[in-house]
Amino acid sequence: MLVIAFLAFIACTFEDIESDIGSQSNPNSQVQLAAQVGQVHRFFNKAISGEPLSNAMYCAVAGTIAWMFLLKLEPLVPDAPWKAAVVAIPLGVAGAALIHMIFATTAHCGRTAAQKRFSQPIYLDVFYGHLLPIATHGFMTTFCITSIAYIQSNVGTLSGNPALNHPFALPLLGFIWGITVGSIGSSTGDVHYGTEREFQDRPFGEGKRVVYHGKITRYAECGIRTQKDIASFCAKFGGPCTGMTFGLIILFENWRTLVGMMLGGFLPNLTMGGDMAAIGGIVVGLLIVAAFVVGNVIFVRWVRAKCGPFVGV
Amino acid sequence: MDPIIAIFIVVYVVIGGLLASLGAHLLPVGGAPAAMGTATGIATGTVQIMLGAALTGLFTAANVATFTDSLWLVALSGAVGATIMICVVMFMANILYAFGCGVLPISGRVDVDPVTKESQKEYKTPQTDGHGVPNVVFVSGTMGGFFGGFGGALMYWTLLNYSKFTPGTAAIAALSIFVANAILAAYNIRGTIEGFHDPKFKRLPKALIASLAVSLLAGIVVVLATIGLGGL
Amino acid sequence: MTVTPAAVEEEEEEAVAPKKRLSFKYPFEETEMAIILGVIAAIVVIFTGLPAVIKGIGLVCAILWGNDSVRKTSKYGLGTGVPSIGVLGTGYGFIGALMGLAVIEYGAIPRLGIYPAALIGAIVMGVIGLVSGYFGNDEKYIAMKIPHLIRAMGELGIAGTLAVLLQFSIITGTLEFGEVVTWVFETGVAAFIFIFTAMGMFHPYNACLGPDEQRERTRMVSIEISGLICIILGAAMFVLGRGLGAWDGISLIIFGLIVWAYFYVKFIRACMNECYATVGTGMITTLD
Repeated sequence: MLVIAFLAFIACTFEDIESDIGSQSNPNSQVQLAAQVGQVHRFFNKAISGEPLSNAMYCAVAGTIAWMFLLKLEPLVPDAPWKAAVVAIPLGVAGAALIHMIFATTAHCGRTAAQKRFSQPIYLDVFYGHLLPIATHGFMTTFCITSIAYIQSNVGTLSGNPALNHPFALPLLGFIWGITVGSIGSSTGDVHYGTEREFQDRPFGEGKRVVYHGKITRYAECGIRTQKDIASFCAKFGGPCTGMTFGLIILFENWRTLVGMMLGGFLPNLTMGGDMAAIGGIVVGLLIVAAFVVGNVIFVRWVRAKCGPFVGV
Repeated sequence: MDPIIAIFIVVYVVIGGLLASLGAHLLPVGGAPAAMGTATGIATGTVQIMLGAALTGLFTAANVATFTDSLWLVALSGAVGATIMICVVMFMANILYAFGCGVLPISGRVDVDPVTKESQKEYKTPQTDGHGVPNVVFVSGTMGGFFGGFGGALMYWTLLNYSKFTPGTAAIAALSIFVANAILAAYNIRGTIEGFHDPKFKRLPKALIASLAVSLLAGIVVVLATIGLGGL
Repeated sequence: MTVTPAAVEEEEEEAVAPKKRLSFKYPFEETEMAIILGVIAAIVVIFTGLPAVIKGIGLVCAILWGNDSVRKTSKYGLGTGVPSIGVLGTGYGFIGALMGLAVIEYGAIPRLGIYPAALIGAIVMGVIGLVSGYFGNDEKYIAMKIPHLIRAMGELGIAGTLAVLLQFSIITGTLEFGEVVTWVFETGVAAFIFIFTAMGMFHPYNACLGPDEQRERTRMVSIEISGLICIILGAAMFVLGRGLGAWDGISLIIFGLIVWAYFYVKFIRACMNECYATVGTGMITTLD
């Protein structure tokens, strides 16, 4: 279970950095708007869709291809199924990375071609130079998610008790976690990219006003900014924070189910006390929720006391 | 064929759909402006955060449904799973806003926070619509996650136990009906909403009527599918 | 060194593009294309005993129709984003497929593999789409006030159902519920079908969003995504051992590869020709 939590942490860190390299979803609306207000830029405009859906796509495809390989390879090594997994999962994820690159290219070319009247050209070095970083980061994210899905759908067989397997199949689990990972990365990590890095020459400590929209920072520390500069910045704070979010969620989910099972006496022999296990899990979950609500109240109060009312214009 | 069970299926699907719509209205959605610190709420789209919460709930509910048969337990597990996810997301978003960008959690729609009675106006950046996740929005989001997860898990349980679908089929079918209701609610919200204190929340009854109609038709489809496939 | 956007190249591109389609006039093109594609897809759904390549062509038609319908509605600004409509179309598709699978035995001739009752699912879903469109657009309810929203949501329901049913019949070879459950839902391929059908419907318009969006380019992306679906479905057919034999899956893979490669290259080339400029590298214009 700790392995799953660790993998989840890495997965979401890379998901956030990948969405920074490829400039997806919400902050991408600023990149789109920039050309329309006259600020020609050298950003990679990857607008596949919102992150949850596109991550769901990569993970579902990776899960499907990995599952196809597992079907063919597992009969060859009946005593050690993990050997089949070691071969199948990377191949599946490689296929998903290829599809990721295909979608990224169509999105960037299509959007830039549709902005012809704003004099936004397609910079070929931006185009070619970002494809491989996007694919690599996407590979890491999808690899971790597919491993999590594999472990979860086979946790029973791996530990010798087939009844503990999750009833969903591998691609479906990949789909579910893909959507979750995407929605988490979109709501937490993109804030760092959007509010801070895109408008880095605006004052720190205020929300970005409506009049700033579109006027993103186009010049970087050295030369003209592209996504590669952004990724190294966001990897310092936004990435690990997002990773921690997803890791915490998975940790809490699995931990409270496990605690519930142990409290209900369900775990060593699976025949008795199903109801008590569920009730235990629910009670632990409600306690965690209450802790978070109280924690938020305290946090908001602390931040308000520390920063004080708004000063300036 | 037992007509009582058929009526139960339709009723449960309708209740699940209505709860999904209600949950989507309660969830604080900031959309693209929230990612720039221009609006309050979670910085993503309605459909996407709703799907994320419901699917986490569905995952937990499926796990619990393998060892228990009771409606309330499965639905509550799903609800709690979804709520935990939304809570963690909102809390970490607050941390990112505060330490990464230096913005406070402030609501743009009310002058005084209804839950903790803290004043909002002098802390808000001018020319924005609030930023971050203040307390009332946090509470609203928790309730939204709870109802959404409950509705999704309820539909899953109905399809699994009353219609005798297999878990994979029940999951995707429940997801499809959930999606239809959540998107109708998203149309009603039209982009951003802060929670139950937002004036837009008063548009809720209209979405509930639309949701009722679509869920009723979907429930009838499920009943026909169950009869036709020999489940009843 | 910049590549000047030669006006000649653009005219050539636009002269080539209408030749690729039948030469209708623009305002009528959408309705006529919808009818043609819808009829082709509906006919292919009924005959489940066909080779997979023909079902692949039907799939291309269904997704193209769905994409066109999404494009028509999203042009007016939905407020919540294009992906939601795509996911809505696929959600409707799954419910409609369930309905179609439920009534499958009426009028069926299982030996020949003809299942006309599947179309009932499509029609019912069209009705549900019309109802939800009515509630969405009407003054007393959600009041989106988008022109033709009702008709577009009805079309989405039918197109989604046809696309999903076709993918089921490609993988399973028949449309019997027990078989479909075993080979599609339990194995998890249903998740893949869900997300890729949604992507096929909304990604083309989302990827080409902007003031200079052209219908020809958008449709090329839609066909290209259908090619990708065919490749992976063909591989799944081959692995699962379904279909009319091993050659069936392999032929679908080759068909998908050809369709994808041709339209992908065409699209990228069209984009690079029709955008403002395609430069190797360059500076940006400085504002004060």
